[in-house]
Amino acid sequence: MSQFSVSERAAASGVMSQTRAPYFVRKKKGITPRTIAILVFLSICALFFCVPLYVVVVTSFKTMDQIREGAIFSLPTIWTLEAWDHAWNHACSGIKCDGLKVGFWNSIFILFPSLILSISLAMVTGFALALWNVRWAGAFLFLLFICAFVPFQIIMYPLIVMTTTTKIYGTLWAVAVIHAVLAMPVLTLIFRNYYKDIPTEIMSAAMMDSGSFWRIFFEIIVPMSGNILIVVLILQITSIWNDYLIGVTFGGLTGQPMTVNLANLITISTGTTNYAHNMAAALLTAIPPLVVYFLVGKLFVQGVTAGAIKG
Amino acid sequence: MPAVSFEHIVKRYGAVTVLDDLNLAIEDGDFLVLLGPSGCGKTTLLNLLAGLLEVSDGRIMIGERDVTELDPKDRGLAMVFQSYALYPTKTVRGNLKFGLAASKLPSEEIERRIAWVARMLQIEPLLDRKPAQLSGGQRQRVAIGRAIIKKVDVFLFDEPLSNLDAKLRTEMRLEIKKLHDELKSTVVYVTHDQIEAMTMATKIAVMDGGVIQQFGTPDEVYEHPANLFVAGFIGAPAMNMRNATLSVENGKVEALFKSGARLDVADYPFKSPPKNGANVVVGMRPEHFSIDDSAAAGQGRFSLPVQSAERTGSDATLYLTFEGEMLALRVAPDLAAGLKVGSTVPVQFQTDKVNLFDAQSGQRI
Amino acid sequence: MRWSRIAPQLALTPALAVTAVAFVGSIGWTAYLSLTRSRRLPEYEIDWSEWGRQYDRLFRDAGWEISLRNLVVLGLGSALAIVFGFVLAALIDKEKRGESLFRTVFLYPLAVSLIVTGAAWRWILNPGLGAQSFLRGLGWDVDFNWLAQGDTAMYAIILASVWQSAGFYMALMLAGLKGINSEIWSAAKLDGVPMWRVYLEIIIPMMKFTFITCAILLSLGVIKAYDVVVAMTNGGPGQSTWVPAYFTINALSAKSNLGYASAAAVMMLAITFVIFIPLVALTAWQQRKRETV
Repeated sequence: MSQFSVSERAAASGVMSQTRAPYFVRKKKGITPRTIAILVFLSICALFFCVPLYVVVVTSFKTMDQIREGAIFSLPTIWTLEAWDHAWNHACSGIKCDGLKVGFWNSIFILFPSLILSISLAMVTGFALALWNVRWAGAFLFLLFICAFVPFQIIMYPLIVMTTTTKIYGTLWAVAVIHAVLAMPVLTLIFRNYYKDIPTEIMSAAMMDSGSFWRIFFEIIVPMSGNILIVVLILQITSIWNDYLIGVTFGGLTGQPMTVNLANLITISTGTTNYAHNMAAALLTAIPPLVVYFLVGKLFVQGVTAGAIKG
Repeated sequence: MPAVSFEHIVKRYGAVTVLDDLNLAIEDGDFLVLLGPSGCGKTTLLNLLAGLLEVSDGRIMIGERDVTELDPKDRGLAMVFQSYALYPTKTVRGNLKFGLAASKLPSEEIERRIAWVARMLQIEPLLDRKPAQLSGGQRQRVAIGRAIIKKVDVFLFDEPLSNLDAKLRTEMRLEIKKLHDELKSTVVYVTHDQIEAMTMATKIAVMDGGVIQQFGTPDEVYEHPANLFVAGFIGAPAMNMRNATLSVENGKVEALFKSGARLDVADYPFKSPPKNGANVVVGMRPEHFSIDDSAAAGQGRFSLPVQSAERTGSDATLYLTFEGEMLALRVAPDLAAGLKVGSTVPVQFQTDKVNLFDAQSGQRI
Repeated sequence: MRWSRIAPQLALTPALAVTAVAFVGSIGWTAYLSLTRSRRLPEYEIDWSEWGRQYDRLFRDAGWEISLRNLVVLGLGSALAIVFGFVLAALIDKEKRGESLFRTVFLYPLAVSLIVTGAAWRWILNPGLGAQSFLRGLGWDVDFNWLAQGDTAMYAIILASVWQSAGFYMALMLAGLKGINSEIWSAAKLDGVPMWRVYLEIIIPMMKFTFITCAILLSLGVIKAYDVVVAMTNGGPGQSTWVPAYFTINALSAKSNLGYASAAAVMMLAITFVIFIPLVALTAWQQRKRETV
């Protein structure tokens, strides 16, 4: 039977319409005043959001002499990397003046163990809570839900004591472990909510095939976690990197992350403040998460909203 | 004077042309159903009329007004949406009132209209409820109420019954039909459900691939489908179609099937004189067959083996093998029950109900 | 018992242990300490005749009073971020042009540490060399010396917080707006209702869950606010920008008063629960609503 092919006809008519003059000539509908107003307003707001970044960037390239002239929004007359060099190599944090590079490497060494620890723990826990009939799972979930909101201050002293007795207080390990501990409730809830939506048929089939908790976890669940893993990874990278409180509390003098270095630098009240140095330091601290953000912005949004809502 | 007319409508999305040079006009008081499978452009056409989409080219007239450039609110029409689109935070009364917000009517008039609509649709007891507290059918009524309270000349319906269960759908169908008769307004109604189209429409436009395949009354569309698409789309079970060749010999016109069976089509109202040897598709509706034991041999008689039978309660569909394919017949249920699979039954087709299409173009001949 | 039942329970033990020790146990520990006379070192004896002495002192402490007042001020001020976020989201949603660009710009502050945010705003608000001198140079007599004055320093913190978080609320609001059935907009368009009425009477009421969620998240964020205070003012001038989070850590580290800090921490937890309970109720309510509809 000769049926009409929809796509063929659409294609044919598409060709036709290209060659034909319009039936009714009407004035082109331009952009309405309302659209212009909205776009102008949004652009002004966008400008407001960009101003601090702009100021930080231009200041970091200025000489202190130019900064003293007071034109905060002007471009550097002489572009110099002096401030960047100083911030990276010589900025003082407390009594040591080895620059932010110390904090940078500290942050890196905190980041990796912390990521591995927090994400693996949360994945396994989330998997067990979501897909295995553990009788007290509901109660535990509720407890985790509460823990996710507990202010840090209420558990701060006991954690200090615990890290001191295990002799990790004041090291990078303390900061990394505490990050993992504090992130555990939220991350577990995120993973649990993600795994909960895995069709029960898949779990049933996996149970019939193997039945082993760890085999199902590694062979089926982990490969299925790609999306959520990236979202959580981004959430964790930015929040660990940007943390100040845990770093300053558990890092002691040798385990301080970059944010603590920066805070020490900008809150220093003795002597004259070199704003070029401060801004270069601020920018150095901000660059890693900003790079992550501009590379995978959409996933970042998913991460922070997941962390906020599901937590 | 046509109530609504589409003139040379073109709608493009970027490089994709959805509607191309579409023309359609309906009269005041018509109930036009735009019928077609999903993606055929019927909803696009409705949204163009509503003003929710802008045409790429062409003109839309409502009465004598060119509304192509007007905002939706200025076109003088009201619409019932597929999801009803009731304002969930307002009561039924609030929903009805909000629809009149722009009309600047005095409040007594608004109250009067609310009372009128509520009475007509029997939603008086629901006026102070929120949409979430209503059943599907009740929401549907409120959605219709929100449209008719505006007392406009043209009502648009976008698949309004598709979210209802079968029983409610039948009820609402009758109700919408009744409302149309009472209000004497013009309706443009989009659906993919042919039963809705057949029962409610005064005019049906069958669409496929952005093109109106046929425009006519339900009877015309059903009895005289303009092409194979319409013939196949309308009717359940679908029309039986078989390839055949025409044989024109000394005044006799017959369709010759591959198996050698013949069907006299001399009385068929050919648009142009039939050509000998032309390839055609013969369309036969399932209900135009009957099982006939009488010995009289004549035109349209076949003896066919039974393949299966399906009973649907009031009706039964009998499947016979004809030309190597299933041939559907609508028969009385007790008759179907008495037949054995594999046995051969004599079948009589009403030759005057035959449909013939050109095998190449698919158009009716 | 079958292995398939033991394995998941075993897998849960680390998390369970962490929860029991680091959260439940630690909260209990701190709560206990808040009843003792602990100063630099913990004391585990409770003088029951005077068990509330730390709390007693706390409520009479002017610094704590300032902290609580600032908490409210910061909360109300930061609420601007929700309003701002909604306006931005509504405009972006209305005018699809440039959606991803604007979203990217409005959200980037969230990716940056609050210490960095503080450093940047501190510099912009610098009276001698920052925006004030620039604007005065243009002939506008403005007073931007917020950070140096106790009664305006909170404004600076609010400004930085709003700048940092408005994009986040915009993202939540945008998600809420996108969840609204597009036929509602079409219906409103056909009804010819003016846009401001559609927002005020239909859209905002429809988004009440999003708004409540935002409000609760904001409140919880305000209680935790610490970094931004350190970076902007370090509590100063004087105690004028103290907040409970700052007060507690100050009591522990600067004053070395463990019992006192613990009492303040317990109060922080109490405030959190006051905000948290409506959240639980809301979640339950929403779930029930979803089931009945």
